[in-house]
Amino acid sequence: MKDIDILKLTAVELSAKICSGEISNDKVTQTCLNHIKEVEPKIKAYQLVLENGALAQPKVSGEKCSSLAGVPIAIKDNIMIKNHPVTACSKMLENYIAPYNATVIEKLKNAGTLLIGKTNMDELAMGSSTETSAFMRTNNPWDLSLIPGGSSGGSAAAVAAFTVPLALGTDTGGSIRQPAAFCGVVGFKPSYGLVSRFGAVALASSLDQIGTFSRTVKDTAVLFDIIAGADYKDPMCEPLENPSFSQGLDEANFKGLKVGVFKDVDYIKLDPEIKKAYKENIQKIKDSGAEIVELEIPSYQYIPAIYKIIMCAEASANLAKFDGIRYGYRAKNVRNLTEIFEKSRGEALGREVKERILFGTFVLSAKNYHNYFDKAQRARTVLINETKEAFKKCNVLFTPTTTQMPTRSGAELSEYCDVFSTASNLTGASGISVPAGLLGGVPVGMHFSAPRLKDADALKAAAAFEKISGWDSSKLPSALG
Amino acid sequence: MTGEELKKLGILAKIEIKDAEVESYLKKLNSEIAIANAISELDTNGINPTTHVSELRNVWRDDIVKPASKETFDEMMKVAPETEGTFYKVEKILEA
Repeated sequence: MKDIDILKLTAVELSAKICSGEISNDKVTQTCLNHIKEVEPKIKAYQLVLENGALAQPKVSGEKCSSLAGVPIAIKDNIMIKNHPVTACSKMLENYIAPYNATVIEKLKNAGTLLIGKTNMDELAMGSSTETSAFMRTNNPWDLSLIPGGSSGGSAAAVAAFTVPLALGTDTGGSIRQPAAFCGVVGFKPSYGLVSRFGAVALASSLDQIGTFSRTVKDTAVLFDIIAGADYKDPMCEPLENPSFSQGLDEANFKGLKVGVFKDVDYIKLDPEIKKAYKENIQKIKDSGAEIVELEIPSYQYIPAIYKIIMCAEASANLAKFDGIRYGYRAKNVRNLTEIFEKSRGEALGREVKERILFGTFVLSAKNYHNYFDKAQRARTVLINETKEAFKKCNVLFTPTTTQMPTRSGAELSEYCDVFSTASNLTGASGISVPAGLLGGVPVGMHFSAPRLKDADALKAAAAFEKISGWDSSKLPSALG
Repeated sequence: MTGEELKKLGILAKIEIKDAEVESYLKKLNSEIAIANAISELDTNGINPTTHVSELRNVWRDDIVKPASKETFDEMMKVAPETEGTFYKVEKILEA
């Protein structure tokens, strides 16, 4: 089998061939590592490639084979793999070595996957372009001058560039689904509480969720089956035994499904090309047998404000742990304890991170708490209530993933760019972005959201959409062609 | 937000803000405040705040201190910037 044909296999196909002995485990790993060497100078998706770490994973074949045995997977660099660096792409953690495995890593190791590397990201997951990484920029595999999105831009680009069929990311307001849309891959944020976050560097704890990247919905579901489930180490983790989200996806279709779609609203300024693609896809879904239900959720217009306040407030509290004392960067030439704190944080944290901590401190301060933090938490309840009402009328909500296309590096995205994905973090719902074609040579993503803990519905709708979208998931991105 | 308020925030957040940075921080934070102000028009009378979306309740256990293994202890100390014996070492905390 040619190397490119191995790289183009889905995770499920690849594992079947490894288990049957058709391809060796080592051949797969070596093929991936070679491909990473070839494309990495252009893409810069990896913060660290675990050449020895990957090859040292247990060999799996024959009877012991699990559904993803031998499959290479890339891990966002804010998830801990024991004895390897976990930097979250911050100077604060530049020399920090993970003393234990994240729960998801334990589960991936038990399933026999190959952990092939740590991927680039916005510093401490704060950003939407992977440009705030303290170490390097990642380029979009479809056009190297464009951002890959973020914060999990490295994981999205790694899958889009066919270096791995699977990757993990984290998503606080769209950090998996927005880069997935920009890079032309499937990105899934499960419902809040379905995947343990133990061992992931926290950003905003009421919103954070670990999720997945892949090129097909089936691969996403199979990976989700492995990483989902109860974990006493994450108190927000739902008791869920033996999940099987990958069941029934092959037969998924839109017949009889009620699909909620958004009415045109002024405050969400959709890129005209995205709007056109959205309308066309609504028609395709309708033609496939779904009942289209037009909806409006008025509080969506407040999502950027609600998100900014809650995310920054929680981040400012979570990041207080970076004090330069127990681990991480410590400033030199300090005179007292207060200077250790102020200079270590001042020197090692990037500008975006410091702005968010300061803004979070602002909204939590006694003078502003009532008008901002408390108000945002109440506004969040309004959004949750309106969303619950909307889901009484439909099974899934269908929207574009983003309101705009990826920008050139250095340009700012609108605060409404991620409004559809952020809605699922604020309400705890699942959300999945699926490639829906190219606009001007660059991928565009469409997004399905299902009520919290009804992740199977979102996955089934995404699988049904994949069959009618016309997207070829085995096509190499143009910048690599 | 004024420069003085910003400096106070820096002290609360334990982040050093240099004089040369004040203007650019203010520009950014004031634009963030403008975005956040949008929620003031939303009627939230009689609405309870949401702190998290889970309906799980806390699980309690007896508060008993268990000793950590030597290995765990060593792992934790190994990643600290400065240690002495079994302690983290910091600059003086009281001025003479």
